Amino acid sequence: MAINTKNKVHPADVMIVTIAHLLRDKEKVFHGVSSQLPMVAILLAKAMHAKELTYLNIPGGVNPLAQQLSSYSSAGHEQYTRSEAVFPLEEIFDLSMRGELDVAFLSGVQFDIHGNVNASVIGDYHKPKVRLPGGAGSAVLIPTVKRALIWRSKHDPRTFVEKVDFVTTKGNIDRIITPLAVFKYQDGRLHLEAISPLTSVQEVVKQTGFNINTDNITILPLPTAEEMHLIQKIDKQGVRYKEF
Amino acid sequence: MKKIISCSKAIETIKDGSWIAIGGNVLHRAPMGLVRELVRQRKTSLKVVKTAGAHDVDVLVRGGCVESVDAGFISYETEYGLATYYRKAVENGSVQANEHACYTVISALNAGKIGVPFMPVRGLQISDLIEANPYFDKVTDPFSGEEITVVKAIRPDVAIIHVNACDEEGNAIIEGPMFDDILMSRAAKRVILSAEKIISNAQIRLNQEKVSIPGFLVEAVVLMPKASAPGSLPGHYEVQDKVLREFLEKKDATSFEAYLDKYQGQDQGKGGGFSWQ
Repeated sequence: MAINTKNKVHPADVMIVTIAHLLRDKEKVFHGVSSQLPMVAILLAKAMHAKELTYLNIPGGVNPLAQQLSSYSSAGHEQYTRSEAVFPLEEIFDLSMRGELDVAFLSGVQFDIHGNVNASVIGDYHKPKVRLPGGAGSAVLIPTVKRALIWRSKHDPRTFVEKVDFVTTKGNIDRIITPLAVFKYQDGRLHLEAISPLTSVQEVVKQTGFNINTDNITILPLPTAEEMHLIQKIDKQGVRYKEF
Repeated sequence: MKKIISCSKAIETIKDGSWIAIGGNVLHRAPMGLVRELVRQRKTSLKVVKTAGAHDVDVLVRGGCVESVDAGFISYETEYGLATYYRKAVENGSVQANEHACYTVISALNAGKIGVPFMPVRGLQISDLIEANPYFDKVTDPFSGEEITVVKAIRPDVAIIHVNACDEEGNAIIEGPMFDDILMSRAAKRVILSAEKIISNAQIRLNQEKVSIPGFLVEAVVLMPKASAPGSLPGHYEVQDKVLREFLEKKDATSFEAYLDKYQGQDQGKGGGFSWQ
């Protein structure tokens, strides 16, 4: 098994490389607020195999070229500066509504085996125990985008639950990527597809609140030296670690 | 007609219970000076509209000004965490969270902008948000017979927007990301701007293609340099990290008064090199 503890690989870097490899050349790809990790993954894919990927974001900068990334936002000047065109948020949604957005990155706080996503509340919607930020664009993007890629920096039994408290949305989920594993959504269910080289099958089972089939899973590769070099070049200050 | 007035006069025109659209997005180019003045004037029962809000909504909620928030996302981004005052207020029932997808806010404003009662929205059919909220419903498409979700129009009583520059008539230039501000300026019944600087009408006429909000839509202009602080003005100034952290950490009333006092002079446009009558 390709566990390499000597290199002190951070789970964020494994996630970024995994996500980058899920992106294909010439796809139109969007991320929203609080999305530093997908942002780095998109820029990595563009630097490797997906040079003609179109990178879209909230400020509306198409393929921006920022000198450095922001540690507190993925919706600011860095996503706008030196872009090749301006295509604002409203139009990105319009693009998804007419079926032409390829990939959208979204997140949530609870997920269940049926692919339901909760980004709204813990407890009752009208009298919540915890009011979450809200699903942002999820409720219209996940059902309309060709592939929704969901990432979450937490993987525990409170995140992957038997039944979500509230269905903010469900729909065209492609995969869910966490520090421990990758789930693939197929035939209306989440299937464990791969685990991180930094963890074990037992740990993934323990940290997942619903039953998972661990047959036919693969182990994700560690980032290569070249990938790490590119990641560090893209994200000099380590904004990708902020959500951990 | 000269529209430049003081911050306090501009905000005095906003009635309690108004629907208010707030420009900018998360910590970027929010009209924080106008927001703080709403708190200083103890406005109540405001119905806030925004796709993605952060410090602006948190300040208004902390100031007790808010009845409901229609938005897709209310939180700071990664580094600063949740909008703590908003979150607590929703959890204790003092503020109503009307959760949208960001696009349903845009669609509701678009309906308001073009004067129709609702807007069809794709995608939303698979969400508990439909049943939970009275502003979403389903109708039958009269042409295909298929069911489609709709969102009720929002026509804000007022939009408050911070711009990089405008003239005395309110012809306004936004540099960098526009977010949903142009739409808000059309959908709202009234528009109040704060501006980093006032430029001449002659300068506007040389740059008319950069004018995204024409003056005839604007009721009042407040000169207010640095008005997005402690948030950012993209490409011009960054967030004030220490202020934001203190705001989130020190939850007592005295600290909030100190926060408002800190910006008192700035919000009245001092240091802007322009005096109004």
